Amino acid sequence: MATFFQRHQNQLVPFLFVVPALVYVGYFAFYPTAQTIQYSFQTRILAFTWYNYQANLQSGLLTWISNTLWLTVDALTIQFGLALAVASILNRTFRGKTVFATIAILPIGIATVVAGFAFNQIFPNTGAGYANSILASFGIAPVYWLNHPWMALLIVAIADSWKNTSLVIIILVAGYATIPRTLYQAAAIDGAGPLRQFRYVTLPGLRGFIVMALLIRGAQEINIFQLADIMIGSYPQLLTVQIYSLWETSGGYPYIASAVSTVLLAIVSVLIVVVILIGGGGKK
Amino acid sequence: MIAGTMAATPLEPTPGARTSAPKYSANRFSLSNIGLYLVIGVLSLFFLFPIYLIFLIGFTSQQYTIFSARPPLIPPALTLINLQQALSGANSPFLPSMYLSLEVAFFVGGLALLIGIPTAYGLSRLGRRLAYGLTTVLFVVNMVPSITIAIPISVEFIKIGLYGSPISIGIAQELLALPVTVFLLVGAFQGLPPDLENQARVDGAGRFRALYGSLVPLIVPALVAAFLLSWMLSWDESTFALILYNPASSATLPVNIFLAFTGRGSPTIGVAFSCIATIPVIILTVFLQKYLKGEDLAAGVRG
Repeated sequence: MATFFQRHQNQLVPFLFVVPALVYVGYFAFYPTAQTIQYSFQTRILAFTWYNYQANLQSGLLTWISNTLWLTVDALTIQFGLALAVASILNRTFRGKTVFATIAILPIGIATVVAGFAFNQIFPNTGAGYANSILASFGIAPVYWLNHPWMALLIVAIADSWKNTSLVIIILVAGYATIPRTLYQAAAIDGAGPLRQFRYVTLPGLRGFIVMALLIRGAQEINIFQLADIMIGSYPQLLTVQIYSLWETSGGYPYIASAVSTVLLAIVSVLIVVVILIGGGGKK
Repeated sequence: MIAGTMAATPLEPTPGARTSAPKYSANRFSLSNIGLYLVIGVLSLFFLFPIYLIFLIGFTSQQYTIFSARPPLIPPALTLINLQQALSGANSPFLPSMYLSLEVAFFVGGLALLIGIPTAYGLSRLGRRLAYGLTTVLFVVNMVPSITIAIPISVEFIKIGLYGSPISIGIAQELLALPVTVFLLVGAFQGLPPDLENQARVDGAGRFRALYGSLVPLIVPALVAAFLLSWMLSWDESTFALILYNPASSATLPVNIFLAFTGRGSPTIGVAFSCIATIPVIILTVFLQKYLKGEDLAAGVRG
């Protein structure tokens, strides 16, 4: 023991500086999370029950899960495609680069609910909206954007990607900066064209950054709530929108909503485990 | 490596970097550049169009926007009627809502620095393995679903009567602001020469005096950036603010926007508040651009 303290003595004081933050996140993040899990097995009368899970399974829990996952896959595909394109453009030198960089990150500042409203006006479920105005000027009949669940989820994914691609761009631009220019020159000398340079120089160089961005955005995507609620309401239903509607109508009793919350947490936990395994970006 | 400043890469090239950059076809339009600018044009249109719409709808009569079957992309006439209706009148939620949003945002920004400065300092002085572990804890906090945390917190705050108060909303939103603040400040502390602190402590200052007397004054730009970023996160945040909102008192601007556009309030409020909420964040984003670094936002990732 003595050696342990001797060895870590110079660590103790810096650690004390971190304690307030740990107490804060422990009390306001981890403790409520544990409470949610506990609530999910309770009702107003019962101390332990599976009732909340059974009731939600009957109301369509599995559909809510699959909708949430589809939306996540759609959105991540769109925003990583877009972000790779924008970041590779920003990696070049051209006139107007600063202006384009600013335009590309503007959406990061727009509130999620405002983004939801703007895209709701572009793609409403009524056959009206700005997208149909544009189609009409080409003589194309109005489209009912949200008629099919897969289409509605795709439209929400596009809106979400508008709002959140900026974050991925910022992370990937940082990644590009770590790739030595000489690698590209060497690849070019070896006869690699732009596509092969992308495949064999850019992608390996960005790997760590892409993984972290995927984990961050993946977790946030599974938690998507108000953007979807404003655009599509509860058709197709997502886990978060369902949690809110169960909570809103519960009269202040968190039990039934907590079961869906716990499922949501379980899905995000898969990503959290990955983060813990690779150590919060500490991978060297 | 935890968010260092070694590869600090703002999106905007620094003036020095720009002059030393290779000059190949940089400043003239060549055939290959036409394709590039075409792509840039399309992408810019995608990023700008929704922002244009927010203001178009805000300053156009509703018969040409949200109630039109074929809303025109160019406004027939501009009007202030939406803003006037939403902002004036005895029952307008505007002033209380704006006031609450501002209170919460300043609280979140202030608390981020209050907790973030010592945390970032501690992390930058800890051994590598412990610092990794603690960084991971903060990173995980950012991933836990807000709605999962918000409901039990709301139940607690209802019990103790703090429900809907600016402090209750701010404390919850801080969970989103604190990790980013800490990552940003760790980078700033690591960028300082270690001799500075040693010198202060040789001169007899304790760790606190060395931190707040010698180090903190040198990272003021990072502190301002962290404060504004936290302020902006809070200004935009709506999940905690919604779940912790007490219908008997007022709601923040984003919560009012959410209620307006989900059939729980007047669309005029939503249209007008969207414009008002968007103006400061556009200015802040442009200002904060060079402080938004990938390393900080991804918890100090290194490829």
